[in-house]
Amino acid sequence: MTGLDYVVKRVFFAVATVLVAITLNFILFRAAPGDAVSALRCRQCTAQFKEYERKQLGLDKSKWEQYWLYLQDLAHGNLGSSLRTEKPVTTELWAPIENTLPMIALGTFFSIVLGIVAGVISAWRRGTAVDKAGLWTSLGFYSMPPQWLGLIAVLFVAGALGLPTSGIKDPTLGILSNPSTWTVIVDRLKHMVLPALTIGLVLYGEYALIVRSAMLETLGEDYILTARAKGLSNWSTVWRHGLRNALLPVITLVALSLGLIIGGFITIEYVFSYPGIGLAVVEAIDQRDYPVLQGAFLLLTLSVIFFNLVADLLYFKLDPRVTE
Amino acid sequence: MKPPLLQVEDLHVWFDLPDGRELHAVRGVSLRVAEGERFGLVGESGCGKTTTILALMGLLPPTASVAGRVVLGGEDMLARGERTLAPHRWRDVAMVFQGAMNAFNPVRRIGAQLVEPMELHGVAEGAAARRRAGELLERVGIPAARANAYPHEFSGGMRQRAAIAMALACNPKLLLADEPTTALDVMVQAQIMELLVALTNELGLALVLVTHDLPIVAQTCKTAAVMYAGELAETGPVETLYHEPRHPYTRLLFAATPDLDDVEGEVVAIPGAPPRLDRPIEGCPFRPRCDRAFAACVNAPRLVAVGDGHLAACHLNAGVAA
Amino acid sequence: MTTAELVEAPPVPVAPPSFFTRLRRSPVLSSRQALVGLGILLLFVLTGIFGPIALPHDASLKVGPVFQSPSLAHPLGTDGGGADMLYLLIDGASVSLLVGFAAAAVSAVIGGLVGLLAGFFGGRTDIALMRLTDYFLVIPDIPLMIVVAALFGRSLTNIILIIGAIYWTSTARLIRAQTKTVRERVYVRRARALGAGNTRLIVRHVLPQVTPLLIANTVLLIAYAIFAETFITFLGLGDPSKISWGRLIENAFQDDAILNNAWWAIVPPGLAVTVVVLACTMTGQAMEDAMNPRLRAGHLSVRRFRLRRWPPGSP
Repeated sequence: MTGLDYVVKRVFFAVATVLVAITLNFILFRAAPGDAVSALRCRQCTAQFKEYERKQLGLDKSKWEQYWLYLQDLAHGNLGSSLRTEKPVTTELWAPIENTLPMIALGTFFSIVLGIVAGVISAWRRGTAVDKAGLWTSLGFYSMPPQWLGLIAVLFVAGALGLPTSGIKDPTLGILSNPSTWTVIVDRLKHMVLPALTIGLVLYGEYALIVRSAMLETLGEDYILTARAKGLSNWSTVWRHGLRNALLPVITLVALSLGLIIGGFITIEYVFSYPGIGLAVVEAIDQRDYPVLQGAFLLLTLSVIFFNLVADLLYFKLDPRVTE
Repeated sequence: MKPPLLQVEDLHVWFDLPDGRELHAVRGVSLRVAEGERFGLVGESGCGKTTTILALMGLLPPTASVAGRVVLGGEDMLARGERTLAPHRWRDVAMVFQGAMNAFNPVRRIGAQLVEPMELHGVAEGAAARRRAGELLERVGIPAARANAYPHEFSGGMRQRAAIAMALACNPKLLLADEPTTALDVMVQAQIMELLVALTNELGLALVLVTHDLPIVAQTCKTAAVMYAGELAETGPVETLYHEPRHPYTRLLFAATPDLDDVEGEVVAIPGAPPRLDRPIEGCPFRPRCDRAFAACVNAPRLVAVGDGHLAACHLNAGVAA
Repeated sequence: MTTAELVEAPPVPVAPPSFFTRLRRSPVLSSRQALVGLGILLLFVLTGIFGPIALPHDASLKVGPVFQSPSLAHPLGTDGGGADMLYLLIDGASVSLLVGFAAAAVSAVIGGLVGLLAGFFGGRTDIALMRLTDYFLVIPDIPLMIVVAALFGRSLTNIILIIGAIYWTSTARLIRAQTKTVRERVYVRRARALGAGNTRLIVRHVLPQVTPLLIANTVLLIAYAIFAETFITFLGLGDPSKISWGRLIENAFQDDAILNNAWWAIVPPGLAVTVVVLACTMTGQAMEDAMNPRLRAGHLSVRRFRLRRWPPGSP
């Protein structure tokens, strides 16, 4: 199995999954009891209006026709329009996406760093109290509902560290004077830290465990004994031979963890009133704004698929042994 | 007489067991290897031969305790444990492991792994080191261009040769080989042994060859030691061990090896099993399986000289000491 | 999701002893970790079953001022509606645990079935089922749950079904691997040679070997399920008529417990979830560990071998 074969196969799989996701999305939302329109509650929403809306949204056509229309719309990047604001879903979701991405990136970064450090230390001091304490701590954090941890953070930590606990920017900024780019960036970061840290704490356990067991497995390999025989110090051995091999599973895990993050960050954004996709999802649910909900869900699914593909290809590049 | 290159005196190794007891794996082993000499260390699985050579390089796990002297080139490497051992690793004594399939890190290129000890010990650097790695590979019969390959791209035999090349990287004086040919097919085995013999002759390297494969020892080594249950049963020139063994175990061991020329001969297996090493051994460890055991064997025999450079630990030799 | 990697199941004698005999003899029950985990779980389960019955009145009854800090009368204080937090916690236990166990059971059944069929029959069934599993794996679970919950209503049953239908994938993989190993076992082949039909083979030979692992995995699933329930309820999608720990956290949030500095309304329910999830993970992991061979000893350690004087007493 050559490299190209592997790449092609993975890309194919990703594309197939995308199709499945799109179809699933379609089925879900069309199969819901009462269609999008019947749930609408507004003053002008008479039965007549609802019929009109139905025609507009194409809900009166057969399911297959609707599916085909849906696919066509998607191909044009049209995710429908928000029921609430009547603006295109893509426009509605743009800003939230911009807000969520850096926050998630920061959170993932925290969890990876914490995880690697904790995992390596645990593996190095395998069996000792340090190892066990590390494992239990990370397991403990991993078992906490993220929204709860977020609330705890707000309750006990935010005040002490002087960090803001909601939104993404200081509303007073920019009113009295023109803030410099630096001030704006710092402000944004300050608002991102708590939610990102919460995500990082909840998720680092999984990394720590994987790094630890990958490390242990690697450290049991013969080439480690060889390295030691060659005279490498403990540290050199870990760094040059242990870490790189042990980190391979971490790469895969990053992508798989995207699924985990995507679970947690929705509730975290809710707790911190952070105006990202998570909050948009919650608001859409609240207001029965199904097009937005559908669009957001599709975007989330697509990003997970995409990152899984990236992880697969990265892993392949890093480990020359990989064949399917 | 020149002092021996390696002199091991009364080496003991214990391993901690999970239930708090100890396994006394090596029980007072002494041996001597001269410069450029090929020395075989033989015995059944579990007799402690691998542990012995691991101890020589200090590659034992933290559950191990060691006692004794390991004198290399006049210096006792074991005197202060890790501190006195570390400087000698790879520079004076290097090792080729059992199943070199796994001695290489799978995600790094072969060449880089050969260069690593060179740069670590200041033997060569950068381009010079890479050149030297290529030369070493050529010397063991691998085209230098293959240095850029990954371990999994080599066959088992090639990997073992590359492992030998890697062991030579810092010009050691002593090479320890732990079952270098096990897990290789017979043709490749012969090639590897030929290589080792050629290299030791060319470079004046001393070799300690650990194996349970007697014919190989017979063909390549000048001297050998036979280990049983963590102790030395007999040691001396290979010819003598073969033709005039002075320990029943040695005799039975060499007899148990099927001789292809002697189709009529019986394959004699030694009945029974070696004693457990997690408790003290009463008397001679071989007594339960020995076909010549007698009254005196309830006392532990000592290693005594029975010929020129030939020692054996058996009561049968009492009165025949040279 | 657990990235449990099945290496090899432990060696088995020719005729396998009954499942219960093996469980009794197994290192699992002697593992301290598993016992502690099980103990904690048992405690919570008993609280969940008998607690609500033992309560003197409906847990959400207002018994004091809103957000009153812990006192002798109300050891965990009161919530945003003046109800006793301790009672609420006990009441919530029954629902949270119920959802956890029930959803885990659903996942276990689906996953176990898929894995069993894929592993046993192999070939096209295997490929098809594994394709299905792969797709499911990639679709993010929590958003899917949230969306489905938002669309399909908020009854407890729905929630249980939704959670159960999402988490079966890792179980399926695990069971498939185990089934494949077992299928190749000598006594299975022997039984087949004797003419045993597929059903008989599966039920009498494969299933007993697969069930322990399934149980270990289900325990871990319980943790996920309880966790997932907190997500769903937190976003207001839970059953409005039921109190669960997730609901309590949501209430605290909605009622601005933070502004009132009412940590007692926030900490206990989340702590309860954390402890139960931890206990499940402890037990489940210990059980899975007992069925997998140990990792090899490492060659690397901060400590090295030790020197010893021999014979003892010499310089």
